[in-house]
Amino acid sequence: MPRKSGRDFLHRWEGNPIITIEDIPFRCNTVFNGSPVKMNGKYLLLLRVEGQQGYSFFALARSKDGFHFTVDEEPVMMPSKTGPFSKYETRGIEDPRITLIDGIYYILFTAVSNWGPRIEIAKTADFKKYERIALVSEPGNKDGVLFPEKIKGKYARLDRPIGKGIGSIWISYSDDLIHWGNHKVILTPHFGFWDSSRVGASAPPIKTKEGWLEIYHGIKTTNSGQVYKIGSTLLDLDDPSKVIARCEEPLLSPREYYEKIGDVYNVVFACGAIIEPDNEIKIYYGAADTCICVATTKLDELIQRTLKK
Amino acid sequence: MTKRLERDVIHRWEGNPFIDITDVTFRCTNMYNAGCIKKNDKYILLITIEMLDGCTSIYYAESKDGLYFDVSDKPFLSPEKDGPLKEYEEIGVLDARITFLDKSYYLVYLAESRHGILLSLAKTEDFKSVEKLGIISQPDTKAGALFPKKINGKYARLGRPNAGGSIWISYSEDLLTWGESEVVLTPRKGYWDSNHIGCAAPPIEMEQGWLVFYYGVKRTSGGTLSRIGTVILDKENPASNIVGRSNIPVLSPREPYERIGDISNMVFSCGAILEENNSIKLYYGTSDNCICLGYTTLDEIIETCMQSKRDF
Repeated sequence: MPRKSGRDFLHRWEGNPIITIEDIPFRCNTVFNGSPVKMNGKYLLLLRVEGQQGYSFFALARSKDGFHFTVDEEPVMMPSKTGPFSKYETRGIEDPRITLIDGIYYILFTAVSNWGPRIEIAKTADFKKYERIALVSEPGNKDGVLFPEKIKGKYARLDRPIGKGIGSIWISYSDDLIHWGNHKVILTPHFGFWDSSRVGASAPPIKTKEGWLEIYHGIKTTNSGQVYKIGSTLLDLDDPSKVIARCEEPLLSPREYYEKIGDVYNVVFACGAIIEPDNEIKIYYGAADTCICVATTKLDELIQRTLKK
Repeated sequence: MTKRLERDVIHRWEGNPFIDITDVTFRCTNMYNAGCIKKNDKYILLITIEMLDGCTSIYYAESKDGLYFDVSDKPFLSPEKDGPLKEYEEIGVLDARITFLDKSYYLVYLAESRHGILLSLAKTEDFKSVEKLGIISQPDTKAGALFPKKINGKYARLGRPNAGGSIWISYSEDLLTWGESEVVLTPRKGYWDSNHIGCAAPPIEMEQGWLVFYYGVKRTSGGTLSRIGTVILDKENPASNIVGRSNIPVLSPREPYERIGDISNMVFSCGAILEENNSIKLYYGTSDNCICLGYTTLDEIIETCMQSKRDF
C-alpha cells in the first residue's frame, strides 16, 4: 500500500550515508559536516574529519554525480602549527562552509582553541592551495557563512554568537573581510517549537527571486539531550537583516539509525547545498556527528514551503 | 599606634561612599560603575543608574575638585526609544568608559537587551549633546574601552567576550568595523582573578607601556568576589607582551558598603584619572550601590605591577 506522506519534507537519498570513515583513506574517528561546491561540472565536498586524537581538520572528496564520492589520500587543511593562526587552532578546525565570489572560493570555518571557538576565513581558487585570510570573530562564535555577493557594496556574513546563553543568528558587514561591524540579530530561537533552544546558520545563503534562502539548524533540548534539525528561512534580498518568512516545521529531522546513533545522538546538520539546473537542490548534511548524507527536493517547492504560513 | 601598612595599595578616601542614590532628586534602585575624565580642570563622571523598573541609564556628574559632585537629574545617555538601536538597549545602557581621542570624547558603553550584552560607541564634544555611533561587538561582550590613541595606525579597543573570560584587543580603521582580535590577558588559576577578568579603566599611556586597571573575579561557594588589579601592556603591540601584572589586587572589597549591596563583595571601576603630579584617582562602584574614590600614585602602581614575580 502506498504511504500517505514522506516522514520529512526533504527526501533522503537511498544510498545514505554517502561518506563514512570506511571511505577515508586514512584512519580517523568520524567524518561529518561537509560543504559542497560544483566546479567545472564536478562535485567537491570539503569534509570535516575528526582524527582519532580528537581534533578536526579538512579533507576533500570528489564526485561526478554528487552522490558517489572518492576522498583524496591526504587531508587538505590541517590546524596551523606555526604563524598567527596557530594559537587559535590548537584544538582543530571545524565545519567548513564554502562561498564562491568572483572566482574565489571563500571557506568560513570554526577555529577551536582553549580561548573558545572563533570564525576564520580562508580562500582557495583551485582547491589545491588554501590561504588563510583572518580570524573574524571573537571567541564564543560559530556557524559563519558568507553571502555569495556583496550587499550594498559590502561583504555580509551570518553567524551564531551567544547572548545571555541564547544562540541566535546574527548578520555582520565588512569592506575588507577582515574588519566587521553593523551587527544585527536576525533569527532567534522559536519558543515552544522544534528550534526552541538555539539556531545557527547552516548552508551559505542561496539567492532566489523570493529572497535569500537560508537553510539553518535548530536545536531543541530534551531530557535526554539535544535534537538538531534542519529548517529554512527567507531573508530580504536588499536587506537580509529582514526575515521575510520562516518555515515553522523542520525540513529534516533525525530519524534513520545513522542520524540518531553516533558520537552525538540525534543530529542532522547541513553545511551547504547545490542547486542543479533542473531546480533540484541537494543538501549535504552530517548525521550524528559520524557520517555524511545527502537529501534532495525541488528548490521552488522548498521556497513555497518556507513561504507557507 | 599607626598601622604599618594599609590594607590595600589603593587608599580609600575618607568621604566614601561619596555618591549614592540620595544624591539625586528622583528615586532609583542603585548607582554604580562611573566612567570618568578630566576636562579643563573639571572632573566628569558618567554614572550608571538603575531605575526602579530595572532598566539602566547613564547620568552626568561634575566636580571642581574630584570629590564633591553635582549629579544631573536628566539622563545623559538613555536607551533608544525608536530606531535600530531600540531592540538592543531595551534593558538599558550602562558602564560608560570615556576616552579622549582625536579631540573628541568617546564612550564605549554596554547596550543590554534580551539578545545579550553588546559594546556600543557614542561620541560627545561637550558632554551636553551625545551621538550614538552604533554597536561595535557581538554578544556577549562587556568591559569595552578605547585606547586614547592609534596603535600602528589603527584604533584599538579592549573588550571582554564572555567565552573564556579574558581581555581581548581588536583593531579598526573607522571605529565602526572591528577585527584582528587577539587575546591579551587571561584569568589565572588559583589567583584572586581566577574566574574572569575585564578592563576597568581605559588604558593610560606611560613611558613603560599601557597601564590598565582591570577587574578580576573569583568564585567562592558564597558567590563572586570582584577586585581590581593592574597590568602594564606593551606599547606597540599590547597583545604580544605583558610588561608587568600585579599578582595581588590593588583594591579588594572590605568596607561594609563594598561588601553589602545588590551584588555582594564587589569593587568595580570604569575609570581612573592620572593627575599631573602622578597621583591617580580611581573612581569605583561598590556592590552595585554607590560610588567611591580611591587614591594611589603612578609609582606605587608600577611597582606593584613589576613585583609580579614575588610569591607573597
